[in-house]
Amino acid sequence: MSASDSALQAVKKSPGPWKIAGRKFVRNPYAMAGVFVLLFFVFVAIFAPILTPYDPAKIDLMNANLPAGSEGHLLGTDELGRDILTRLIYSTRVSLTVGFSVALASVLIGTVIGAISGYFGGWIDTILMRFVDVMYSLPSLFINILVLTLWGSSFGYMIMVLSFTSWMGVARLVRGNFLQLREMQYVEAAKAIGVSNVSIIFRHLLRNSIHPIIVYATLMVGSAILSESALSYLGLGIQAPQTSWGLMLSNAQEFMLIQPQLALYPGLCILVLVLAVNFIGDGLQNALNPKEKKKIPMRRLQQWRNEYLKSAN
Amino acid sequence: MTEYLIRRILQSVLVLFLISVLSFALMHAAPGGPTQIMLSPGLSQEALEIQKRNLGLDQPVHIQYIRWMGNILQGDLGTVFKTGIPVSDILWPTVGNTMILMGAAWLVTLIVALPWGIYNSTRVYSISDHAANFIAYLGFAMPTFWFGIILQKYLALKLKWFPLSDMWSFGKKGDIGDLVWHLVMPVTVLSLSFLASYVKYARASMLEVLHMDYIRTARAKGVKERVVVFRHALRNALIPVVTIIGLDFPLLVSGAALTEKVFNWPGMGRLFVDMALAREYSVLMAIVLVTAVFVVFGNLLADILYAIVDPRVQLSRKGGRA
Amino acid sequence: MAERVLEVSKLTAGFPTDHGFLKAADNVSLKIDRGETLCLVGESGSGKSVTSLAIMRLLEYEGGFILDGQIKLHDEDLTLKTQEEMIHIRGKKIAMIFQDPMSALNPVFTIGDQIAESLRLHQGMSPKEAEKEAIELLRRVGIPAPEIRIRQYPHELSGGMCQRVVIAIALACKPDLLIADEPTTALDVTVQAQILDLLRKLQDEMGLSILLITHDLGVAAEMADRIAVMYAGTIVEEGYVKDIFANPCHPYTQGLLQSIPGFEGERGSELYTIKGSIPPLTQLPSGCRFHPRCPHATPKCMQEQPGHYAVPGKDHYAACWLHDPAGAANEETGVSRE
Repeated sequence: MSASDSALQAVKKSPGPWKIAGRKFVRNPYAMAGVFVLLFFVFVAIFAPILTPYDPAKIDLMNANLPAGSEGHLLGTDELGRDILTRLIYSTRVSLTVGFSVALASVLIGTVIGAISGYFGGWIDTILMRFVDVMYSLPSLFINILVLTLWGSSFGYMIMVLSFTSWMGVARLVRGNFLQLREMQYVEAAKAIGVSNVSIIFRHLLRNSIHPIIVYATLMVGSAILSESALSYLGLGIQAPQTSWGLMLSNAQEFMLIQPQLALYPGLCILVLVLAVNFIGDGLQNALNPKEKKKIPMRRLQQWRNEYLKSAN
Repeated sequence: MTEYLIRRILQSVLVLFLISVLSFALMHAAPGGPTQIMLSPGLSQEALEIQKRNLGLDQPVHIQYIRWMGNILQGDLGTVFKTGIPVSDILWPTVGNTMILMGAAWLVTLIVALPWGIYNSTRVYSISDHAANFIAYLGFAMPTFWFGIILQKYLALKLKWFPLSDMWSFGKKGDIGDLVWHLVMPVTVLSLSFLASYVKYARASMLEVLHMDYIRTARAKGVKERVVVFRHALRNALIPVVTIIGLDFPLLVSGAALTEKVFNWPGMGRLFVDMALAREYSVLMAIVLVTAVFVVFGNLLADILYAIVDPRVQLSRKGGRA
Repeated sequence: MAERVLEVSKLTAGFPTDHGFLKAADNVSLKIDRGETLCLVGESGSGKSVTSLAIMRLLEYEGGFILDGQIKLHDEDLTLKTQEEMIHIRGKKIAMIFQDPMSALNPVFTIGDQIAESLRLHQGMSPKEAEKEAIELLRRVGIPAPEIRIRQYPHELSGGMCQRVVIAIALACKPDLLIADEPTTALDVTVQAQILDLLRKLQDEMGLSILLITHDLGVAAEMADRIAVMYAGTIVEEGYVKDIFANPCHPYTQGLLQSIPGFEGERGSELYTIKGSIPPLTQLPSGCRFHPRCPHATPKCMQEQPGHYAVPGKDHYAACWLHDPAGAANEETGVSRE
């Protein structure tokens, strides 16, 4: 058999980058656990009315402060008689909605600004980047609080202000990618063949930025959930009659002596959900990253050292 | 170096100016803003006009801005609407308290995170490394205020190891020991997420540096491994970490605000939240400006530090090459 | 009889991986006498860098191990030394310089600092003495205005200057052997020539032995007293420079020489290339590692690895069955491969 024949046989059609990434992702136990947890929460959010008969906002002072395990109230009731488990379940809706909306919005804003900045360069770039610097210099919590105080704490405003204070990361990323890619050979090559500007932006440049953007968006979901819960805790975010884990925690602090489980569960929910989302984000990052450093566990390294003893000092 | 300093200071002033304009614009554009608040509802049109004139709200916007900035620069931060007390009286005492909290948290973070991260870089995938990784995940996902509440519940209420809240025990103001005792829980809460990041940064930076060519050269020179790590590698590894510390300053401020509220710490952050709930805009504005000054100053310091530590940073416009 | 400075015998070293231990250097033997320059020639992936790192016992820091063999520096076997003992040898008795001079210097320390470190470490000089000596060294390597350069940082120097500094650092304590791993590859051609001249000059002045690693036969022709050709981890031919160029005996060496553009052949004729490519260490061919690409391969070449056989010329050896004095392969010569 000649060399060229065997070479041909050896070249199988290699799978596309998305498939490779998908496979890597699925093999990551943390990432998959994260996906299941997230799906669980989504399920709970969608089917909330079916999962619990109670109204999360209904005040029932007759049944206030029931301990966990009371009849009909698995986790007890809070100081206004509202079922805690129900409130936890309905809060899922708030967190997930805020999380995904803010992630989407901030990525959109950031991508647009970053793309404009990176592609056109010049003074547009300078001005926009100075703007990014200013935004970074301000503690986002303060800005969020300020805006919500001024405009009112509605759901929509909260999503808006959270998005307006979290787009900078994406913008820098996209701009960086654009600047890099602009210089790269294949953009010049594409231009040389006559591909149009718009086409270049969309097909070539955005395609390369898409990986870090996806990872960033995923991590942004967690960050947004944390910010929302912080604002609600402070009393400046979600207001009654709506319910949110953060809001539940502010009650919890007041009534810590009477209702201890109020303190534990909402925070636990936030922790688990954000952790799940972060695992997914990290899993995506590992999966989408083409350069992979093979990790050799410590034990194996030691094993080898002892085997190949000639120069092991 | 001086040229660089002057340039950076001018930039900082510009940024502060922009921030002040932004804040001022925000205040006067908002429907729930001071204009509405300060004008009591139910007044007749004439009374409204008189009130407007009294509060200086009838002037064109840019005049109002200049008046306001002028006052600020002279130290007059306005007055609290409800009580009439000057803002400076309630603000300045809190600034010091916040700085104590932030400073302590920052110190703890550096002292713990940097050595740990560097240690992990030399023992990759060890138990210590995995532990740091675990804490990192926790630190990034955990709502800090919840962590604070949990600590309060178990360490303060149940075990009574630490005080529940506040900065000093009753009657013990000025006692450093008492202060430290009160600092333990808030600082733990505040530094958790920063600790997590910095361990990662230090480890990653150190790993990267340890693979550099000049480390190989140092070994080929016969330099002891310990000196290679602590002299040749460390200085290079700390450079990016220093920059990040400066950039993280606003996050520290945000985190401190939340922590202050949880532990009832009498700082700027708690004041901000309380005043926000009370719709006291003059105080809010003042705090935003003071914070902005601190942040900008912090960035400036970080940049200067960076220029000192890394000789490659071009301080002037002219480059230097043989 | 010239003094033998370095004698490497049957050195086998490489890296442990999931596929087993990869021997980047397999049964390598070299010798260098005082004042001699041995050029280790080979393409990327031939194992020359691993060999040099193994000699310095730096391989362990890159995750590798020495499996077998001896490395005799004068009469000490370096494979038996601990790292603590090697610290007193590196920089003092053997020095090494690497390929990219700009990244070989620590960016946060001054040039003077980095040279002085060697002097203070191995010769116990005080800071003042070390600084004086550093200035002298910079002068010797041809850097003008050394008093100013002492206080400068690496990023303020050009590539050629940096390499001179690197040489100064390496030779500060007057080592017996200098290992230079592709010292000119990253430099412009004119600077290359300067650096090579400098190395030769210093060699004459100091009686220095040099192990020069390169893929460039031109550099080897310039600098070498002896050449050792490496392929896929083994030495396939070694000899004095004149013999290697006039009478290359291993088919790989022959191929290398033929591949040099303009070396032989007329203008306009197709450039010669050795068919195939270097095998990855995970898929080494059986028998002689070069046989898949060799125009003269025989069945025996596929089965067994050849030993080193003497060929015409002083101390000239080739690892090829064709030169086996037992002559077993010669009968089947003529069966060539396409």
